[in-house]
Amino acid sequence: MQLAMKGAVGLLITAAIGLSGCARVEPWDRDVLARPDMQLVSDPIEQATDDHIYFSKEASSGGQGFGGGGCGCN
Amino acid sequence: MQLKKRRNAKLREIGTPLAAATCALLGQAVPGSVQAQELMPWDIDTSLLIYSESDGRVQDTSLSLRARKEMREEKFLDLSLTLDSLTGASPSGAAPAGVVQTFTNPSGNAQYAIAPGEQALDPSFLDTRVAMAGNWQMPVGRLSLLSVGASLSDEYDYTHTGINANLARDFNNRNTTLSFGVALANDSIDPVGGSPVGLAPMLGLGDTSNKRGDESKDVTDFLIGLTQVINRHTIVQFNYSLSQSDGYLTDPYKVLSVVDPVTGNPVAGPAGSGLYRYLYESRPDSRDKQSVFALLKRDFNGDVFEASYRYMTDDWGVDSHTAELRYRFNFGTSRYLQPHVRFYQQTAADFYQTVLFAGAPLPAYASADHRLGEFDGITLGLKYGQATTSGNEWSARLEYYTQTGNASPGAAVGSLANLDLYPDLNALIAQFSYKFGRR
Repeated sequence: MQLAMKGAVGLLITAAIGLSGCARVEPWDRDVLARPDMQLVSDPIEQATDDHIYFSKEASSGGQGFGGGGCGCN
Repeated sequence: MQLKKRRNAKLREIGTPLAAATCALLGQAVPGSVQAQELMPWDIDTSLLIYSESDGRVQDTSLSLRARKEMREEKFLDLSLTLDSLTGASPSGAAPAGVVQTFTNPSGNAQYAIAPGEQALDPSFLDTRVAMAGNWQMPVGRLSLLSVGASLSDEYDYTHTGINANLARDFNNRNTTLSFGVALANDSIDPVGGSPVGLAPMLGLGDTSNKRGDESKDVTDFLIGLTQVINRHTIVQFNYSLSQSDGYLTDPYKVLSVVDPVTGNPVAGPAGSGLYRYLYESRPDSRDKQSVFALLKRDFNGDVFEASYRYMTDDWGVDSHTAELRYRFNFGTSRYLQPHVRFYQQTAADFYQTVLFAGAPLPAYASADHRLGEFDGITLGLKYGQATTSGNEWSARLEYYTQTGNASPGAAVGSLANLDLYPDLNALIAQFSYKFGRR
């Protein structure tokens, strides 16, 4: 398990270094990415609702955020 | 002055660290003395959710409130509160049978009967849940963002407490963000009637001799994330997460039917109980889950396309794939329509068994909980949102969720072959949201 985590850290850092060469969107070109509907989580309540529903009905949870639960529903 | 106005307008729009980082950079052009004099309003999100399963199963009415405010320069406080009211019936795990089946409810002081051929639903499902969370987000140095939070929830038979922290750092002219998060939770479970001894039989009315006291579990989550700006219109996110649970992971209200291995009929339970034989389920006391998650968001001439995929695997033998697509059609700046589709597929846990067979040695762990079985889930949804003339926003969405699954291999013996061992689950999700405070 620890090995998998180290592997994931290594992979992400490698990817970050690799990607750092490819994109260069300057701050003054962030008008589109700064829009509320372009945020990674654009509707936090909807996201929390869906996480809660699927956590209680499926064997998987988390992914984009923490999957710890905090509910007796599963 | 013009600068200040523009900057504040920007700040009101932000919702994530990336946008915050962007604005922080823009903010550098603003002289310090001009900043933060104006009080920022709370951004308030509210929602009403109706979750309704068919066949009289679980019904949930939920109210949520989320408030966010910039307390000081680039320091944000997030507070959330959710109230759930749950009613309806929940599958007990027992298999249907060709005869009337009687069950003792969890408290041990009442019984209920299930008609021949019907799914065994425990009608005593009733709960109220209060959940709250707080989160503080602040910049660390010029390029990092720290957030720390705490969560608490309480149900009649369950209490959760948790803390979490996340550190994100920007690289590459803020085109790349790496983040690392940890969450710790300690939950206590105080089941109605006590927590049953694993694989002990359900007993007759008033007999709680195989029930014990409270239980607890600890959950530790790690999350490592990478966010990358691809171009002016596209952003991607990759996460790896690890979740380790230790303690009582069993569902204290779930049972398995013990049936004759040839006829498939239920066998007699404890002498004098008047029940067939049902054993309380038993799960391992630890579980490690790992998942990878990828998200792509892209702007198409003002519309937004979003695709995500998650793969999860755990040491209980469950592997799952989840794919989601959303497309937001923006009509001008004030209205939008967003279709949504979600596909989910999971394999069964190693110890998932639709029934246990009389005479066979008992396994170490067993559960007939459908959520640990093999199934597919599909969600179809549509959301409409509109800004009001005062700058607030309301939205409504309607979604339909369905699960179709399979019994464990070899379960459909004798009379069970003609019964539905994995009834479909169909649920409607209706949510109305109203956001205000944004000027």
